[in-house]
Amino acid sequence: MAEASVTLTVNGREVSATVDPRTLLVHFLREQLQLTGTHVGCDTSQCGACTVHLDGRAVKSCALLAVQLEGADVTTIEGVGGPDEMHPMQTAFKENHGLQCGFCTPGMVMKGIDIANRHAAPDEATIRRELEGNLCRCTGYHNIVESIAAGAREMSG
Amino acid sequence: MYVGQAILRREDERFLRGRGHYVEDITLDEPIAHAAFVRSPHAHAAVTRVDTARAVGMPGVLAVLTGADWTAAGYGEAEGVWPVKDMSGADARTVNRPFICTDGVVRCVGEIVAMVVAEDRHQAQDAAEAIAVDYEEKPANTITARALDPDTPLVHPAHGTNEVLVTEHGLKEETEAALARAHHVTEVVVPTNRVTAASIEPRCYMGHHDTVNDRYTVWTTNQAPHIVRRYFTKSLGIPEHKLRVIAPDVGGGFGMKLYHYPEEPLVLWGAIVSRRPVRWVGTRSECLLGDTHARDHHTVGRMAFDEEGRILGVKFETLGAFGAYESQWNASITNAYHFTMLSLAYDIPAIHTTVRGVYTNATPVDAYRGAGRPETIYQVERLIENGAHEMGIDPLELRARNLIPAEKFPYQTAIGIIYDSGDPPALMEKARALCDYDALRAEQAALRAEGRWMGIGMVAFFDMAGAGPVKMMNDLGAKIGCYDVASVRVHPDGRITVFAGSHSHGQGHETTWSQIAADRLGCDIDHIDLVEGDTDRVPMGIGTWGSRSLSTAGMAVYTAADRVVAKAKRMAAHMLECAAEDLDLADGEFTVKGTDRKLSFAEVANASYHSGDRPADLEIGLEETSFFDPADCTYPSAVHVCVVLVDPETCAVTLRDYWAVDDVGTVINPMVLHGQVHGGLVQGIGQALMEECAYDPESGQYLAGTFMDYAIPHAEDVPSFGLDSHFTRALGNPLGAKGAGESGTIGAPGCVANGVIDALWHLGVRQITQPMTPKKIWRAIEDAGRAQQ
Repeated sequence: MAEASVTLTVNGREVSATVDPRTLLVHFLREQLQLTGTHVGCDTSQCGACTVHLDGRAVKSCALLAVQLEGADVTTIEGVGGPDEMHPMQTAFKENHGLQCGFCTPGMVMKGIDIANRHAAPDEATIRRELEGNLCRCTGYHNIVESIAAGAREMSG
Repeated sequence: MYVGQAILRREDERFLRGRGHYVEDITLDEPIAHAAFVRSPHAHAAVTRVDTARAVGMPGVLAVLTGADWTAAGYGEAEGVWPVKDMSGADARTVNRPFICTDGVVRCVGEIVAMVVAEDRHQAQDAAEAIAVDYEEKPANTITARALDPDTPLVHPAHGTNEVLVTEHGLKEETEAALARAHHVTEVVVPTNRVTAASIEPRCYMGHHDTVNDRYTVWTTNQAPHIVRRYFTKSLGIPEHKLRVIAPDVGGGFGMKLYHYPEEPLVLWGAIVSRRPVRWVGTRSECLLGDTHARDHHTVGRMAFDEEGRILGVKFETLGAFGAYESQWNASITNAYHFTMLSLAYDIPAIHTTVRGVYTNATPVDAYRGAGRPETIYQVERLIENGAHEMGIDPLELRARNLIPAEKFPYQTAIGIIYDSGDPPALMEKARALCDYDALRAEQAALRAEGRWMGIGMVAFFDMAGAGPVKMMNDLGAKIGCYDVASVRVHPDGRITVFAGSHSHGQGHETTWSQIAADRLGCDIDHIDLVEGDTDRVPMGIGTWGSRSLSTAGMAVYTAADRVVAKAKRMAAHMLECAAEDLDLADGEFTVKGTDRKLSFAEVANASYHSGDRPADLEIGLEETSFFDPADCTYPSAVHVCVVLVDPETCAVTLRDYWAVDDVGTVINPMVLHGQVHGGLVQGIGQALMEECAYDPESGQYLAGTFMDYAIPHAEDVPSFGLDSHFTRALGNPLGAKGAGESGTIGAPGCVANGVIDALWHLGVRQITQPMTPKKIWRAIEDAGRAQQ
C-alpha cells in the first residue's frame, strides 16, 4: 500500500513521518513515536483510554487517521506537566486516589483537563455527564469525579 | 506506624505520566511479529476444511498454524487447577477448554481454528481473513436453564449428557423438615445473568524463544505469573526452570486474567515456529467473546420462615454454567465458593443446596470478582426480601431478627464453614444510621402517594476471602497450594527490596506491602521497593485473586520482615555486646534498651554482608523468605443499603444513594480500601442493571461484541458512595486483616435488585431477572397489572 507523509506537532515538537494511510493516530503515537501512555481499550471509541488533545480539545485518537492530522497540534499524556512536576490534574488524581490499574488513567486525565478548561468549577453532575466517553472498571468513578473537581479547582485557582 | 494510614500511592506517578509498562508497551531488540486468529463464527459446527494455501504466501506472513499442526507437534491441553469432582470424589465429565480446534468440531462462537503470524498487525489480519474454513453447522444451545432438557443438543455427545457434575451440600433432611413445618415459605426463581469482567486493558501476550540458551519468555496480562509457568508445563511441555513469565503492569484483572487462555500458548508456539518474538493484542470484540464469562447460574430457591419471620431453612437447586468447556478454575465456583457462603450474615439452622454443572455452546465460565458469592448473596437476599414483604414485616426488621449475634462468633454455619469473627448487628445498626432508614421509609411513602416509585434495597453478608489454608483449599478441590510467598532483601546500604508472589493490577501493593514491611522493619517507607510479576525474580507465588493477597502475600511480607529483624538483631547484639532481647528497633536504629548506645539499620546491614566479626553460627547476608500458609481464610462481612427511583414513564432506574458498611478487620490503607469498595460496587451495580453477555437463543450467535452492546456503567449511571466500617479482628493472620477486594461486587447485585422490587412491590411485581433494564421492568409491571385484574 502506498505510504503517505504527514507533518504535525506532538507535545510541542514538530514530527514528520511516512505512514501506511490506514494507520490510526493512536497507533502512530504508540508505535512510531513510542508514546505508549495513550492506550487502546475498545477499538470502537467508547472507552476513552486513547484520549489526547487535538488543538486543545479532547479527542479519541482511535477515531482519527494519522494522515488527517497535517499541521495539527497534538498533546498526549506524556506532554502534560513538566519534567519534574506533574500537572495539577495529575496531582489531583494522585491525591484523591483517582486511579487503580492505571490503564484508563491517561485518558481520564486528558479528559479531566478538557473538562476543567471548559468549566471553571464543575459540579459532580457536570463531571459525570462529561465523562460519558470515558470508561473505568476499577474505581467506580467516585474518586475520579473527586479528582477532576479538585484538579479543576487547582487549575482555576 | 504506616499501617492504618491513607498513604498516597507510590505507583501512581508512572501511570499518571503515561509511563505505565503494560504488555503492549514492551519493546525488544528484535522486531516483534504479530499474531491474528481465525475464530469460529458458529456456536456449534463441524470443521470440514481449513485451507491456508492463500494465506501462506501473503506479504509479511511468517507462519500459518492450525489444530493439525498443534497435534503434530505433540502439544498438550489445559490443566484444571481446580478440577471438577463430582460428589463421589470421582472425576466428572471434564472437557478442558482447547487452545485450538484439533478434533474437527467447534463448540462455541470464538473458538480458535487457525493462527497467522506476520510482520505487522495488518498483514496478520489480512492473511487470517484469507484462510478458508468450511463449517457444517450443528444444533446449539446457549441457555443454561435449558441445558438438561431432553431435546437440548449435546455439547459433548460422547458423554451422553450436558451435565458435568452434580454436587450437594448441607443438611437435606433438616432443610426439608423446616420447609414442611414453616409458617411461611417463599419461593423465587433467581437466575444470575452471564457477565464478564471487561477490564479496560484487553488481554495481550508476547512470547519469545531464546534458541541459543534454550530459554522461553512470556509477557502476559495475568494475575498469577507462577501459575502461568505451571500451565505451560502441560500446554507446550516447557519445564518450569526454562520459562520466565513476566506480568508487568496489568490493566485490571478481576479474576478474569487468571487463566491459561488459548492465545497465551499459541503466541509462544508462534514464536518458536517463526523464530521471532510474537505478540497478540486482543481487540475488544475478541475479549468480550473470549475472556471468560461469569455467573450464569439458574437457581430455584425456597426459604422457610416462622411466625416472627425467623428463617428456619433455605433450599437451593442450581444449574451452574460451565459454557462449552471447563475453564481452569470454574469448579471452584460450583464446588467451593457458591455453597460455602449460603448462610450470609444470618443465623440459619438448615441449608441445603444441589448444583448441577452444565455445558452449553457458550464461552467458558470462570471466576470473576466474587466468583459464586454474588450469585449466593443475590439468591438468598431475594428470598429474604420477598419473604419480608409477603409476611408484612419491615425488610430491615426481618433481617435484624435473623442476623448472627456477636456472641455467637466463631460461628458455625449450617453449611459447614466457620466464620471466625464478625458483628453483623453492629454493621446493620451503622447502616441504619448512615442511611437514616426511618426517614427513607417516610420519603418512600410520601413519594408513592404522589405516584412516584422509590425503593430501598439492602443485603447483609459474609465473604470467604484469602484462600487459604493449603489443606482446606485442597479439600475443597484445589490442586495448587494456596499459600503465598515473599522475600525481604536488605541491601548492604540498609535499603530494602521486597519480592512478593502476589500481583498488583490496581490494588496498590507497592504502597500497602511497603506499609507493612516498613512497620515491621522500623524503617522509612521510602527505603523500600517492591518487585512482583516476574518468575525469574520472585521465588514463587500463587498470585492475586479471591481477596487473598493481603492475608497470604501480605502476611508473607510481614513474616519475612520479622525474620530479617530477628537476624539483624543478632548481628547488632554482637556489635553492641548485648543480648538481642535488649535491643529496640525504631526509626532505622537499633538501640540498647535504657541506654543511648545504638547502631543504624544500615550499619548492621553492611556488617551482615561484609564483616568477619560476627557470631560463629550467624550466616552472612540479610535476606529472608516466607512461604506463608494462613491458618484460615478470612471472613469479611458487610451491610449495604441503596435507594432506587424507578421512572413510571420510562421504567428507567436511577440509583440515587448507596451506602456500605464493611468489616474487613485491620485496615492497612483506608484510601485503598475505599477505592476497592467503590470499584467493586459499580461492577455489581452493572450486573444488576445493564450488563449481559447476550446470545441469540436460536442461532447461538454472540450479541455483545463491543462496548455498544455490552453495557458497563458510565460515571453518570452511578452515585457517589457513603461508606462506613466496623472492626472485628480476623483470627487467621497476625495482622487481623480480612480481604476487601470483592465485598462491593458481591453485595451490590442483590442490594440493587431488592431496591427495585421494593419500589414496585405495591404494583404486584415479585421478581425481575437481571439486568433489570427498563424493558424488563416495564414488562414486569404490565404482567403484574394483568395478573391483578
